[in-house]
Amino acid sequence: MLLQQLVNGLVVGSVYALFAVGYTLVFGVLDILNLAHAAIFMIAAFATYALVAAGVPLWLAFLGGCLLAGLVGIALDRVAFAPLRRRNAGTLIPLISSIGVSIIIGAIARGIWGIDERHFPNALGDAPPIHLGAITVTTVELVTFGAALALMLGLSYVLRATALGRNIRAVAEDRVAAVLLGVDLEKTIAMTFFIASALGGAAGILTGLHYNSVTVDMGAGIELKGLAVIILGGMGSITGAVVGGFILGAVETLSVAYISSNWRDAIAFGVMFLILVLRPRGLFGKRALRAA
Amino acid sequence: MISFFTSHSKLFDQLAINALLALSLSVCLQAGQLALAQAAFMGIAAYIGAILAVSAGLPLLPCIAIGALASTLAAMLLALPVRGLRGVFLAIATIGFGEILRIVANNLKLTGGGEGLSQIPSDANTFVIYGALIIVCIALYLLSRTKFALAIALTREDETAARGVGVDTAGVRFWTLALGGAIAGIAGVLYAHSNFFITPADFGFGRMEQILVACVIGGSTSAIGAVVGSIVLTLLPETIRFLADYREVTNGAILLGVVLFAPQGIAGLWRRAKS
Amino acid sequence: MRTFLSIAAIAALALTTPAFAAGKGPAAGKTVKAGVIADVTGGAGVYGTPQKNAYELANDDIKSGLIDAGGANLSFEVQDAASDGNQVATLMQKFTTDGSAVVLGPTLSGEAKKADPIAVKANFPVLGTSTTADGITSLGSCVYRVSLSEAQVIPTTIKKTLKSWKYKTAAIIYGDDNAFTKTNGDIFKEQLDKAGVQIVDTETFHQKDVDFQAQLTKINDKKPDLIVIGALAPEGVKIIAQARKLGYTGHLMGGNGLNSPTIYNDAGPGAAGTAVGAAWFIGANYTGNKAFVERYKKRFGGDPDQFAAQAYAGAQVIAAVVKNGATTPAEICSGLKALPLAKTVLGPIGFDGNRDVKSAPVILQIVKGGFAYFK
Repeated sequence: MLLQQLVNGLVVGSVYALFAVGYTLVFGVLDILNLAHAAIFMIAAFATYALVAAGVPLWLAFLGGCLLAGLVGIALDRVAFAPLRRRNAGTLIPLISSIGVSIIIGAIARGIWGIDERHFPNALGDAPPIHLGAITVTTVELVTFGAALALMLGLSYVLRATALGRNIRAVAEDRVAAVLLGVDLEKTIAMTFFIASALGGAAGILTGLHYNSVTVDMGAGIELKGLAVIILGGMGSITGAVVGGFILGAVETLSVAYISSNWRDAIAFGVMFLILVLRPRGLFGKRALRAA
Repeated sequence: MISFFTSHSKLFDQLAINALLALSLSVCLQAGQLALAQAAFMGIAAYIGAILAVSAGLPLLPCIAIGALASTLAAMLLALPVRGLRGVFLAIATIGFGEILRIVANNLKLTGGGEGLSQIPSDANTFVIYGALIIVCIALYLLSRTKFALAIALTREDETAARGVGVDTAGVRFWTLALGGAIAGIAGVLYAHSNFFITPADFGFGRMEQILVACVIGGSTSAIGAVVGSIVLTLLPETIRFLADYREVTNGAILLGVVLFAPQGIAGLWRRAKS
Repeated sequence: MRTFLSIAAIAALALTTPAFAAGKGPAAGKTVKAGVIADVTGGAGVYGTPQKNAYELANDDIKSGLIDAGGANLSFEVQDAASDGNQVATLMQKFTTDGSAVVLGPTLSGEAKKADPIAVKANFPVLGTSTTADGITSLGSCVYRVSLSEAQVIPTTIKKTLKSWKYKTAAIIYGDDNAFTKTNGDIFKEQLDKAGVQIVDTETFHQKDVDFQAQLTKINDKKPDLIVIGALAPEGVKIIAQARKLGYTGHLMGGNGLNSPTIYNDAGPGAAGTAVGAAWFIGANYTGNKAFVERYKKRFGGDPDQFAAQAYAGAQVIAAVVKNGATTPAEICSGLKALPLAKTVLGPIGFDGNRDVKSAPVILQIVKGGFAYFK
């Protein structure tokens, strides 16, 4: 059973990691906790669902959903954060601002699609599960895991080897110095939001596909778990978000398997609380953004 | 006139309780602490107050006293491990604390678990609730005229500088959190004793978000702001009921609008208008 | 001579029987407003929206005479509580003071425990249509419900399935943070114990969870003959799908929460055979049921679920009481008490001494594309 549970944990963890990466990217660059990230997670899943329902092939709909998520992210920054940046508004106000935007996004989604759960015409889900000895895994799970991994590797590449990546890291390290060195601040921030939101959106689409369920409140659970992941991994650290995501997935799954499902979430938050008390910078955290 | 009040007494009760909750958070925000555990403190007191009333038949005032004492102790216990945390880190730690407590309440037989605690005597009527609110307001007003209030403001503005001029910032943080716990506890017992039935979900992150939004809309750095914000937030769902399907998006838009155009909240607008 | 007298007697009876005095009861012409508290939005929106739909349909059906309210001008005013306990309470207070004659709802058992006492204090009748937890009708002498409680359904569910499936071991997975699913799980556990079935594992989950693999892997490891699912439809669908995906080949069983089209539409082929202990069968032949399903489908674009059916039945019950002349809260309260039987889409229903509904549970089984009676 242990092997199967580890597989379960890896799949759950890969989505946590992908979601947390977007969270931590924005925090590392801007010191903002973007509580609308979960709403973007949700709207991307709906966008992909809508495209698939309209006949668009899945891979294209996936890209479309991520693209929409990225654009919503840029809009989010323009509307809710940029005006506050000019005003030097501290950390509390942008947080509340993001709550406002997430409520609006949720209301729009509800207005368009209603409260019913949506399901994908089971393109991936119909394939019979694959049995490899003691473990059973489905095509959807493999795709979820693989896509999440690929996206995180892609991000690592962008951050490490491209000019944009350098700019993002510079702004995260020291905003004033970066501007002095000629970095276009607003453009870099916009791109940061684009990437972070596209990744968060991808996490949402993969979640929707994996469980074959898209609802307007699908972001509620992962919002708080995402916090636990970035604390565990270290705020601002991409590596931390990835490692933290997998660790949390494993901890949750194993605590259900060997302790009790009653306490699963309490254990996850307990770990988070302990990290904050004992080692607030988490596993890999530093103040600046670190590439994976 | 009287009949308007009696037929809407539930709404007025909720108003006062929400105002107390907003005040409990405001006390912490005024010290610059983003401590988001008030919903949990409320829950602790609510459950203790309810259990005492249901199983031991205790009348309301002892329930409030013991419940608020428990929540204050909880706040003090929480203050210790999180004393080194600031800003978002403190926020997350306190949210985590709240979630853990909620799950504990969900799993304990004593609290009724997921089924909640019912048949709580309804002995907190409108007078008692508003009486409590007035007493707390008076207490906070008296507090605002002491040196401690100055210390609170200095800690919020710049903690390092405050320490430099001799302010015991650690003490400020500790006592404001404890005070927040006490006020939230009073609100919690009143909530339990006016709602007949409580479940752990009543005291989770959703409730915390509401309290936070109320404070911010009203003005996060003043007690008056907290009260104003909670009034707006409590009455809003009822006054825009006619918007039916558009209620939710209106909620979000109002929140966003206040944040963007009135960052000091409604209280801030009022102050600017006066000057 | 005798033949003549009998014909005359029959004729006299026919002419004076109220059933033939089409649509004109003692309350004819009077306006009766019933308040409805439903969670149309918010976390419980999936349950409150079918309820709202059912009342919209009921309002039209009263106007057109399909529901017979004895000529009274009966209407249902639906207000959204947004799954917010505070709003449920304020709405209950509003309805008890704004001239309404009765309140139907609220949607969730937990909400009922919060709000019904307000009505009880005001001597105001409440008719629950979706509340099934313990301790609701006992809140007051005017608190009724048409929703079969889990305690009423589960023993029958177990008895019937045990006869066919003869399972010896079982595992239970239920939601521990919701009054309905927790009662579900607890009663299943208690009744299975009573029936001599060995419970090899108990797992829990929370509302809105989507991933049950960890719990199901653990259950699967113990290889029980039966998995009992104490969940509402959104979680139930995923539990069934994931259990089958993990390779579980035993039997599946659930309660009222699984009585929803989502289960047969979206839980995959592995859902076939699942037993569901419910209060309503979409294919039942009770008067007006099939027609109700058709009208609902035509108007709202999908099959009604049990929440919709029970809400509609609630409307039918109120109409029956109003037809008998009740127009004020006190009259409706005693009207409900005196109601022998009302013909609804749930079948003929009445109330027992505890104000719970007297109606037969129906044990269903999922088949391809729908429900059927359990065999």
